[in-house]
Order: sequence, then structure tokens, then C-alpha cells
Amino acid sequence: MDKAELMGRYREHVLETGHPPASVYAFTKSFGASERDFFEQFASFDALESGIWRTAVDETVAKVQESDDWEGFTAQQKLLTFHFAFTDQILNHRSFFLARFPRTTDRPGWPSKQLHGMRDSFVPFAKSIVDTGMERSEIVCRGPLNRGYPQGLFLHFLTVVDFNLNDDSQGFERTDAFVEKSVRLAFDLIGTQAIDSAADLVRFLFRRKS
Amino acid sequence: MAQEQTSIPSNRASRVAALAGAGAQVGVNYLKHYGRRVVGSEPATDTLHEQNADVVYDAFSKLKGGPLKLAQMLSIDKNMLPEAYRNQFAQAQYSAPPLSYPLVVKTFQREFGKKPLEIFDTFSKEAAHGASIGQVHRAAIGDKTFAVKVQYPGVADSLNSDLAIVKPIALRIMGMSERDFAPYITEVQKRLLEETDYELELKRSIELSKNSRSLKNIRFPDYYPEYSGKRVIVMDWIDGIPLDQYAENEASKEKRNQVAQSIWDFYHFQIHTLLRFHADPHPGNFLVDENNAVVALDFGCTKEITRQYRDDYFRFLDPALLEDREGFEAAMRKLDLILEEDSLQEIDLILHNAMLGTKLLGRPFYEKSFDFGDEDFMKSIYEFGERQRTDRDLKQMKTARGSPDSIYLNRAYFGLYSLMGLLRAEISARSPGTRESS
Repeated sequence: MDKAELMGRYREHVLETGHPPASVYAFTKSFGASERDFFEQFASFDALESGIWRTAVDETVAKVQESDDWEGFTAQQKLLTFHFAFTDQILNHRSFFLARFPRTTDRPGWPSKQLHGMRDSFVPFAKSIVDTGMERSEIVCRGPLNRGYPQGLFLHFLTVVDFNLNDDSQGFERTDAFVEKSVRLAFDLIGTQAIDSAADLVRFLFRRKS
Repeated sequence: MAQEQTSIPSNRASRVAALAGAGAQVGVNYLKHYGRRVVGSEPATDTLHEQNADVVYDAFSKLKGGPLKLAQMLSIDKNMLPEAYRNQFAQAQYSAPPLSYPLVVKTFQREFGKKPLEIFDTFSKEAAHGASIGQVHRAAIGDKTFAVKVQYPGVADSLNSDLAIVKPIALRIMGMSERDFAPYITEVQKRLLEETDYELELKRSIELSKNSRSLKNIRFPDYYPEYSGKRVIVMDWIDGIPLDQYAENEASKEKRNQVAQSIWDFYHFQIHTLLRFHADPHPGNFLVDENNAVVALDFGCTKEITRQYRDDYFRFLDPALLEDREGFEAAMRKLDLILEEDSLQEIDLILHNAMLGTKLLGRPFYEKSFDFGDEDFMKSIYEFGERQRTDRDLKQMKTARGSPDSIYLNRAYFGLYSLMGLLRAEISARSPGTRESS
């Protein structure tokens, strides 16, 4: 029994009953497998859900990188393409996302443990985008601060998913607009000297006072 | 079609404008607003022409998005304070930055299940230029080039909330009650929603270009329904000079006159013969090709009027009416510009101003040919508007007047006057196909 099959059965169970199975025992029994089959793949239901979110990201990343234009895209275009592809991916499993995806409103503890798998998949991808941006000088070099960007993009990614799940506009058009606008803002912030200039000014004023 | 024209009140002078009904209300605000900048502090006449063109163009090119369009239309129709308007709406300004290429790709995939490059041989990643609620990309199959118009996502969706933002501001500025205001906002909303419907726009564009084929010196791109959908319209790419640039260029007076006359005749044909017209004549919607022919683009916003309404509206251009107070009053009542509950004093005031306004704004129609490059004309419109604005008695009248139908007719004429001014053209304001009084 592989991970994909377990994830599929788990998803089905949640969608049909509206809640996770009572126990791994009950879950595996329902399709004639053993607990061992489950635990060989996942340590818990949380780990399984984490795997589901991670897979969604993995699949999207693989898909967007396949396209012909990919190499020619700017960092911003790459990131946008990813987000649009991911919202499209959500469409395949929207009910499950709605039922189980950890939301920003679930604070405290957000982003929760279940999202770690997703993060582990997204962050290296985001790092490759940041690297593209640095090469193309779309992103201003700010030394160690740049290392935080992939993490920042991950938080942004979660807000996009969250926005999408709350979106009730036709064809989820508002999500598209949100992606466009927020990505543009993000790149404006990391792509210009505005923040550096602000920081410079603050430092200057601060020195004068002391 | 020629016969239909005979039913228009067709004294030479009796054929135009928006001016008519509202007389006072018309485009005055707008014109005076720009007129102020033209004639206000800067009396040096040599620069007036240029400024005039710039100012009018600026005004139009900046008005994008729901609130601005609403603002634009209300200010044309209602006697709104231009200053207050400008300040208040500047805050509500909605300016859409260009769509990213990935989103264009997504739109294509949603519409056609294909990427742009799976349909076209080439497709520009950057937009060639903007449209009011979308942008235009250049594409090609073989050596045939296309203009591909792509709509911003969520435009239709955000429209209602945009209008909701503007409504209280508009109410306050105009001092109108919610109830008086409702028919206007409904009308504007309806048109704006239509504008977001690219399928409808495609249909209208094809219809209008087919029906207007007989007109001289005006041409239309071909449209391609097979590549068009809810968010995408594909038409021929036509090389030409945008009208505003054309006006600034060295084009001779004869050429400018020819262009202006073609546009003018095109609108009169739409309004009087087709009874459906393009309600948004601004420089961005016209190109001039190498043969000095006008290319008309973008029929998102069209308005249909009834024959009856047209007749009532254009009655005001009968010069005899200006001498006939009772007739004028009757015509005003017909268009709900004078209401049952008005006092005698109010009626006097309205009539007086409307007659003045009609006389002034109808001037192009009273003369054999009229020079829109005439600064004095602009200036008197401005002064008239200014007097209206500061008139205390007029200010106290807050009731909504006039049919919502007039909004777009007024708007069309306001746009048309501005275009004529932009081109500094001398034209004959007669409608095509109509002759001296019948």
C-alpha cells in the first residue's frame, strides 16, 4: 500500500463522512488493510495530511517547470505562474481543502504542523525563484535579509490559498486579482530601493539623536 | 434608411445635441472645468490651442474603471461641482496596472483550453496598450496580425462594490436623495455591466460595423468570434495613429476637418438611423490610417434609444423653439426636465437657463459650418457653466431631473464636442442624409 493510495482513501473518508476517521485502526479496517500498512507510510493522520498538501505543491511545481516558456520567465512571472497553477490545482480537490486545510483563522499555532511538508517543498522552489530574480536584478541584494525571502513567500503563498478558499466570486476571479496585486507589491518591495532608503533614513535620524 | 432620417426634426439647426434637453445641465460642467484651465489664468492666446487639446485628452485618458466612469457620466449629466468632484473622486481613483503575462495565459487556458502560443504564432508578452477594463496584446498567425483584447479579472465582480464606494460621495456632492438617484445609478450600472460582457461587445461590434458599412471614410477592423470569448476579443490589428496624437501632429486643417466630419457623421448615423450608438467617444477609440480614414474601435458601451425619445430630445434644436417659450416649456416637460411639483418661480428659472444653454450649446447646429477650434466658444461655455455653478437659486434645486436615458446621450455629445475641439476642426454639423428644413 503506497502513500498515494492511503491519501486517496483518507480524502474520500473525510469528504464522505465530514471528519477524519476515529482511529488509524478504524481507517485501515474499512478497506481491509492493517495498521502496519498505514504506519509504514505515515506516523499519524497529521503526517498524512501534511503529505497531501506537500504533494499538491510538488505536482504544481513539476507542472509549471515543464512549460516551454518557463526558462524565459522573469522571477515575477514564475511566481505568478505558480500561484495560478496552484489555484487551478485546488480546483481538483477544493472540497477537501475546504474541509481540512489549516486556515489563518485557526490561530494560534498557524502555520500549523500539517503545513511543514508543504513548506519543505515550497521553500526550495521559492529560493530558485529568488535566485532567478537576483540574477536578473529584479530583486535587490540585501545580504542576509534575502535568505528570509523564500520563507516570506511561503507565508504569502498561504495567504493566497486562504484567500482562494474564502473566495466566492465567479471562477475565483478575485483570487486571480489578489495574486496579481499582492505579487506585484511583493516584488515592488523586494525589487526597489524603497525599503533600503527608508531604513537608511531611519538609521540616519536615529544616529543624530544619540 | 434615408427615409427614416426625414422624420427627424430637420432644420439645419435642429439636429444636434445633448445640449438640448438639459441645456443647462449638459456637458457644461465638464467643458467649463477644462475650459477653466484653458481660459482661466492663462490669457496668452497662442498656447490656448495646444492646452485645449492636452487638457481634454488628459481628462479622458485618466477616466478608467467603474467609479471614474460613473463620476464622468454623472458630472456630465448633473450640475456637479467640478472642484468637489475632482477632489473627491481623485481619492476613489481606480487605476489598474497591466495584467501579467501568466494571468493572460491563465485566461486563455480558461477560455479556450489553450495557451496563447498554441493559437497564435507570436504573442506579445507585454500589452501593446491598455483598454478601459482590459489590455491589448499583439499577436500574429503567419503574416496576419491581430489585436487581442484581454479583460482584467474580476472587473464585473468589483464593479458593484466600486459603485457602492462612489455612491455616497456622489449623493453628497449632488445633494440628491437616494431615491432620486436610484434610476441614474441603475442606468449606469447596467451599461457598465454590459461593458464587461465581451460576448455582447463582440456581437455589437460586428453589428455596428456591418450596419455602418455604407459610411464614407470610416472603417472597422474585422472581428474573429472563433478566437473570442467571455474575457477575450480578437480583431484585426490596424496600424494607424491614435486620434490624440494625430491631432497634435502636423496634419493639415483640411485633413483634420475630414477626420472630424467623418466622426461626426458616424455618430449622427448611429443616433438617428440605428438608434443605437457608441456612448463613449474618446480619442482612444479612434485611429487614423494612412489614407486619412477613421478607424473606429471598442464598442463596449452602447446605448439604445427609442425613436420617440430621440424626437423629444432633438426637438430642442429647432431654433423656432428658442423663441417660443410655451413650446420650450412643453418640450422640457416631456423630458421630465420640468416637473409637476415645480413652482412658477422654479419653472422660470429653469426655462431661462435651459434656453440660454440650448442656444449656446446648439450653436454648431445653427451655422452652416462651425469651427470647434474657436476659443471664444469654449470660453462662453465655460463662463455660462460658471454662472450656473455659482447661481444660488439654481444650487437650491436638488431634485433629480431628466430621464436616465439622457445620461449616455449627453455623454456621447460631450465626448463628440471634445473630440471636435481636440481636432480644432471646422465641420458642418448637419447629419448625413438630411437636407435643409423639410
